[in-house]
Amino acid sequence: MYIIVVGAGTVGYGLGLELQAMADHEVVLVDRDRSRSGELREELGEMVVHGDGTEVVFLESVGARRADMLIAVTGDDGTNLVSCQVAKHWFKVARTIARVNNPRNERLFRELGIDSTVSATGAIMAQIEVDLPEHTFIPLMKLHGSGLQLVDLHVIAGSEAEGAALRSLHLPENSIISLVVHEGGSPEVPNGDTVLRAGDEIIAVIPQEAEPEFRHLVAGATVSG
Amino acid sequence: MRVVIMGCGRVGSTLAARLEHEGNTLTVIDTDPYSFRRLPSDFQGETLVGSGYDDHVLEAAGVHEADAFFALTQGDNRNLLGAQIAKHIFGVKVVVVRVSDPFRGEIFANLGLRTFSPTNIGAQMAYDALIREQ
Repeated sequence: MYIIVVGAGTVGYGLGLELQAMADHEVVLVDRDRSRSGELREELGEMVVHGDGTEVVFLESVGARRADMLIAVTGDDGTNLVSCQVAKHWFKVARTIARVNNPRNERLFRELGIDSTVSATGAIMAQIEVDLPEHTFIPLMKLHGSGLQLVDLHVIAGSEAEGAALRSLHLPENSIISLVVHEGGSPEVPNGDTVLRAGDEIIAVIPQEAEPEFRHLVAGATVSG
Repeated sequence: MRVVIMGCGRVGSTLAARLEHEGNTLTVIDTDPYSFRRLPSDFQGETLVGSGYDDHVLEAAGVHEADAFFALTQGDNRNLLGAQIAKHIFGVKVVVVRVSDPFRGEIFANLGLRTFSPTNIGAQMAYDALIREQ
């Protein structure tokens, strides 16, 4: 596979090294900073090229027309977006991946057809949610096209679900609890008799709009009075 | 019309002055507050310091209520990011972008933005001047 990496900062450099070590890939690492690309060229050789990864003429010169993938990982969202759009619409590159520095731009990038986005802020936030006990709801992935999502959450003491058998729980429509991991680590494919306890981890498939209801049921305090 | 202009350089400030003179309501965004000196001394519109490709800044500029958005900084990629946020996130109907690289301009014109290239315009005017002199 022929891969163009745009941006030779810390992320691009690391990516270039990893990809170069994989025998099947041909990789080119481009950066518009002359001294940075010169420095890296001494270390990595000809795979490093000085140029502007958003410019049609330059991308043509590094063979964008035959590239299978373009990955834009500079620290500037404008550069990453435009680089991927130029690759996609001018050179018909099949797969584009962009680093998103401002996590709020993620939606725009997706809407504009960038195949994958990677946000360091988003990834770290997801990790914080895993580590903080008060953040007990983690969206794992959206199931493409169905409006369903896979979520991970912990049963909270005092919630409606605590101590209840699954058959007695009023789950939102089209929701399925697929896996229960009991405290101590034993996983169980649940049935109607499975009783949820505080601290149990649940993997469930739920409609996206049912998130608040489901969250309240399993991880919310019961409404008193 | 409500108009938001990103970039208060020579092009942006000239356009802002003209549109305000014609009775439109203007907001001008620039990262450098010093650039607002280019606006006429009687400019009534709003000036906002910040990046025109930051959705929070665009929201503060009232872009969701704007009839037109112009991205006129010297950076093609900045302009294209700001313009696409204005168009796709805030739904502005008329979005005009300055793109110096003519190829890039063509790509984004095909994607529904109104682009113009100072490079092409400048070269054409220089060429026309030569033809007239001959």
